[in-house]
Amino acid sequence: MSTNGAGAPLVSVEHLKVYFPIRSGIVLDRHVGDIKAVDNVSFDVYRGETLGLVGESGCGKSTVGRAILRLYDPTEGRIVFDGQDITELKESQMRPLRRRMQMIFQDPFASLNPRHSVGRIIGDPLRAHGLAKRGDLSKRVRELLQVVGLPPDAGSRFPHEFSGGQRQRIGLARSLALNPDFIVADEPVSALDVSIQAQIINLLERLQGEFDLTYLFIAHDLAVVRHISDRIAVMYLGSIVEISPAEELYENPLHPYTIALLSAVPIPDPEVEAKRETILLAGDLPSPANPPHACRFHTRCPYIQPTRCTTEVPALRKLSDGHVVACHWAEEIKAGRLRPKEREAVAEQPLLQPAEEPPPV
Amino acid sequence: MVVDRRADFEASLTRTAELRGDQAGGALQRASLLRDAVHRFLKNRAAVAGAIAFLIMVVFVTITPWLSPHDPYAIDFGKAYLRPSWDHPFGTDDFGRDLFIRTALGGRVSILIGFAATVAIMLVGILYGSLSGFAGGALDNGMMRFLDALYGLPYLPFAILTLAIFGTVNFWTMVVALTVASWFTTARVMRGQIITLKENDYVRAANALGARWYRILFRHLLPNTLGVILIFVFLELPGVILGEAFLSFIGLGISAPKASWGTLAQEGYSSYLAYPYIIIIPSLCIGWLILSAFFVADGLRDALDPRSQEA
Repeated sequence: MSTNGAGAPLVSVEHLKVYFPIRSGIVLDRHVGDIKAVDNVSFDVYRGETLGLVGESGCGKSTVGRAILRLYDPTEGRIVFDGQDITELKESQMRPLRRRMQMIFQDPFASLNPRHSVGRIIGDPLRAHGLAKRGDLSKRVRELLQVVGLPPDAGSRFPHEFSGGQRQRIGLARSLALNPDFIVADEPVSALDVSIQAQIINLLERLQGEFDLTYLFIAHDLAVVRHISDRIAVMYLGSIVEISPAEELYENPLHPYTIALLSAVPIPDPEVEAKRETILLAGDLPSPANPPHACRFHTRCPYIQPTRCTTEVPALRKLSDGHVVACHWAEEIKAGRLRPKEREAVAEQPLLQPAEEPPPV
Repeated sequence: MVVDRRADFEASLTRTAELRGDQAGGALQRASLLRDAVHRFLKNRAAVAGAIAFLIMVVFVTITPWLSPHDPYAIDFGKAYLRPSWDHPFGTDDFGRDLFIRTALGGRVSILIGFAATVAIMLVGILYGSLSGFAGGALDNGMMRFLDALYGLPYLPFAILTLAIFGTVNFWTMVVALTVASWFTTARVMRGQIITLKENDYVRAANALGARWYRILFRHLLPNTLGVILIFVFLELPGVILGEAFLSFIGLGISAPKASWGTLAQEGYSSYLAYPYIIIIPSLCIGWLILSAFFVADGLRDALDPRSQEA
């Protein structure tokens, strides 16, 4: 597994923006604003690696994953898959590429059609692409079931007969059916029990080695992401605030948001847990329909400074090899010259308008 | 009551035993969803009574014409206006025709028109509604506004107009007229179903793996609406039968000497004071069928509604 920029990236996301229009009015259907679910996001995913994408609910991480697979149309920006710009491809042009990029879903109950047998679900990708004849199909289905650790007779049963972890295995088998190169795993273990989570994570890791897979692993659980990721990108309110090799991020987080996130991860050691300092973020996640200007995190940042934070948009800057941060004060924080302060939530001026619920992302 | 509880308890014991069998590696219950639905339906007494009443009527109209010794079209004024007796259980009409066999034949026509029109309504409604819901956006908007416009038109004048355009009334023009007048609700409901279902992750998964749109619609979405479709068949059927009866009653029905329940009632209308049974019997038949179909629809809704599955 390559840790940083060895070789060309398999997937490149460049200045990706995905806006969902807010409409109002019954007759005229006026366009009154946008939910900026993803706002100017750039990153690369290299062949064979696992890029973890973390952030709290509603920060746009799932939207990024779906936009890469063109389940949503990007508003702006470019998505390059294996050297080919797929941003503007029509659905018919996307179809052959869909064989190479797959998705694993969060909810193992909603992601399997309750009326289809497991064999049919797993064989569906092959049939949709007209790739299998009857005899081959059932052979391939049994093969896939075996790969994900399910009994071969599972094919004739229905999804409701399986537990959450088993269903996630079925979803995994379906995504492997076409031998993809790239898999977007959208919180694949969040809906599972902790003991089952480990099984699925280990299975994902084994399959990565076996089939040469590249993962974009979306999650909100930092412990899970740390285990599986080579590099981690942290998202806040539609943009990326920090990308770093996994270990480096945990040992040396530089963006105040990452620091706050990591300080909230419980440590299974009562003494350490009692001594350490946790940073509680003030306020709520601002509305993505009307994000704070300049640095988006300044309304909640415990390291906020009187200058620059409220006036200047921070760019992603490279601080060390493979470690980029979008904070004006990253060097100061790294050197330990800045300390977090307790603060009240600052309302953005003008006050945030209560926007409509963003579409489920 | 006591007997019922006991039967329930025994049934639950059997079910538990079957579950234990699963855990011991026995064959899993394949169609347990369907089985649960059947079980719930059978526990609903009104629904079972409705289903039995419905079947009785269907059997009556099916076999009576084969068994009855009378000719439904033979005119014999000597036998006109006979009151119900053993020989003529429903009496005879002004032409001396046996009303027992004519009621059965009329029922055949009414029920067949009802079923044919219901099937046609389902086809049109499902196609229109699911395409509209699946396409979404401007197409959906346009299709629904068109439907709203049609909704504004009253039901029966619409059917009458259709019949007038055809110029003749026979089985098929009747089916078309009833379909034209009443496919809207099915289309709306189907649209709603499809819109709800297409937000499911398995539809997104099908998209992500490159399935074409018609594959998603026909393989993934429509099969999941089967329950609703079944309920709607039994909800639409009474309305259609009533519509046909009404059209026949006002003289736009199947023409003599053939008859439907509506035309039979209409024939009885001229002499309802002296011979009330001529109008009452076909009316009761219509009521019988409509009521039993409603009870079946109600039972099906309770049995197939996924929300009631915990109960």
